[in-house]
Amino acid sequence: MECFSLLRSDVPALINHLGKYGELIAPHKKGDVSYSFEVVHDSNEVVLDYNRTLLPLKKMFLPPVEKLMDFSLKELSYDKVEVAITPRVFFGVHSYEMQSILRLDHSMLSGSAESNYFRRRQSSRFVGISFTPDEFHFSESVGILIEEMEGFDLFLNEVDGDFQLYVLSDHGQEMLDGFEKMAITEPEVVEGRVFKKKIRYHFNRLPRVFQYAYHSPVWAEVASRCVGCGACTLTCPTCFCFDVQDEVTVTAEDGLRQRSWDSCMLSTFAEVAGGENFREKTINRTRHRLFRKFKYITDEEGLPWCVGCGRCTAFCPAGISLPDIVNELIQEDEKAQYHRSARV
Amino acid sequence: MKRLQDVEPQQTEDLYYPTMCKVTRAKQITEMEKWYELEMPDGKSLGHHPGQFVEVSAFGIGEAPISVSSSPSKKGTFELCIRQVGTLTNVLKNYEPGDLMGIRGPFGKGFPMEKLFGKDILVIAGGIGLVPLRSLINYVIDNRQDFGRLIILYGAKTPAELLFTDELKAWETRDDVELHVTVDQPDASWKGHTGVITTLIPALDLKLNSTIAAVTGPPIMYKFVVMSLKSKQLPDDQIYLSLERRMKCGVGKCGHCQINGVYCCQDGPVFNYVDLKPLEEAL
Repeated sequence: MECFSLLRSDVPALINHLGKYGELIAPHKKGDVSYSFEVVHDSNEVVLDYNRTLLPLKKMFLPPVEKLMDFSLKELSYDKVEVAITPRVFFGVHSYEMQSILRLDHSMLSGSAESNYFRRRQSSRFVGISFTPDEFHFSESVGILIEEMEGFDLFLNEVDGDFQLYVLSDHGQEMLDGFEKMAITEPEVVEGRVFKKKIRYHFNRLPRVFQYAYHSPVWAEVASRCVGCGACTLTCPTCFCFDVQDEVTVTAEDGLRQRSWDSCMLSTFAEVAGGENFREKTINRTRHRLFRKFKYITDEEGLPWCVGCGRCTAFCPAGISLPDIVNELIQEDEKAQYHRSARV
Repeated sequence: MKRLQDVEPQQTEDLYYPTMCKVTRAKQITEMEKWYELEMPDGKSLGHHPGQFVEVSAFGIGEAPISVSSSPSKKGTFELCIRQVGTLTNVLKNYEPGDLMGIRGPFGKGFPMEKLFGKDILVIAGGIGLVPLRSLINYVIDNRQDFGRLIILYGAKTPAELLFTDELKAWETRDDVELHVTVDQPDASWKGHTGVITTLIPALDLKLNSTIAAVTGPPIMYKFVVMSLKSKQLPDDQIYLSLERRMKCGVGKCGHCQINGVYCCQDGPVFNYVDLKPLEEAL
């Protein structure tokens, strides 16, 4: 693994260089307070310091609305949608975001492996960047450090205002071919980038907390504040549930089938024809969301399915905090243990 | 954890494209339910197991999970029986022979036939629950020598809602099938048993070590049937239940059919009761 020093002022040149490899997508400022992953048209518009984008990078692999087929109602036939394999370079990606893509890989490729997802994913390269945690980030608590480099081809670690560029794969090496502005350097450890938000327990202790959390009083309290809008799952980088709809053109001769992001937090998510709803109450749905992040997949794969980006908390209109819920579950679990020990 | 580099392009699948299947026969069999016989293109076989389901689609309307009702032993065609209860199913009501229905699947786990061979089969069907269980029943009848007793308990709300009445008569006349039918609300002409389906269970004389129960019905039915079977001392691991959920994609992705951490479309819809007991959302 090679490490180069790179001046901040040379980053736009690097971005332009990477653009030769494939379509470049990077964080841009959007509105007054928001950021978004967008196609790069001018390397000077790419934002290097940002807390988080509103929508996660999953939108580039599982589009919010994705056409599955065109159909003809006259012929009762359909045309498949072919996802073109074109190289894409994602620049300025935070470590938790990369970890979310690695988790999506598992979700979309284990069992039946989805071809559309695979094609988009296979042709993608990732250039990471370090970040300064704000009051919502807690990825350290789920085992993801700022400079976690798994999954990246290149990684920019900010050191005293400039950068150290790590080359992490053959693809990364290839992407840098012909870029001359750097000198080899010794990797430095950056101190002082501290997470303000924390889950009190190490994540390897959480499975035990969740093992006993199903009937915790915490769920009713959270449900009483939740408005059921689904913003948490929409902005969650590892949520992948979807719905499928058909749309017909005005001539009623043809149309398309598409899928769109759905949310287990919406009240009709588990409803079947005839009206039976298998997760009717908000309390069932808030619990389901947290169990999806910390128990169901985690029990199988050994990793939290939450990457600590803080989006669900930062964008919740009711101010519900995921790490706070986990901390309350921990507290309730400790209380229950205290009472148990008193009985012995 | 599955990694991208573990997957070869040829291992990936286009998961969401239906096969257009031709309706060969169709009949409205009750006020709410229509029966369809379909054939795959090019004489292919659906290749399902009793208890599995398919995703049925109509372009412009959408898709819904529907149980396969015919036995795999019936070759050349397969059958569905669809209750008109939602947007899609009310459109399918108008499908007649010659029309094309989009089919994906079969999906999920059906009844584990290898564990049923040689056993007494106790079928407990509530209402439309007979539709998937009919696949099992006819499979047992077509391979009668491979199984012990075949006991069928079937309950419907009213006599008019009884499904497959011709077949019920045929099963009744066979001396190797024990059929017990009940209705909740009898009409003037009803001469059979009256009461909910669990009222048929106490009188059963079961060989406890060799009986497998296969249960399908409305969600409310399961708890009571399981309670009745337990009071007969039937071991938990000899009870199989088929659950209804919103199985939208059928391939374990879309999330709609999850029962706690389990995807009903992958690990079910047929479950062993032992596997359902730890799932709080199951029954």
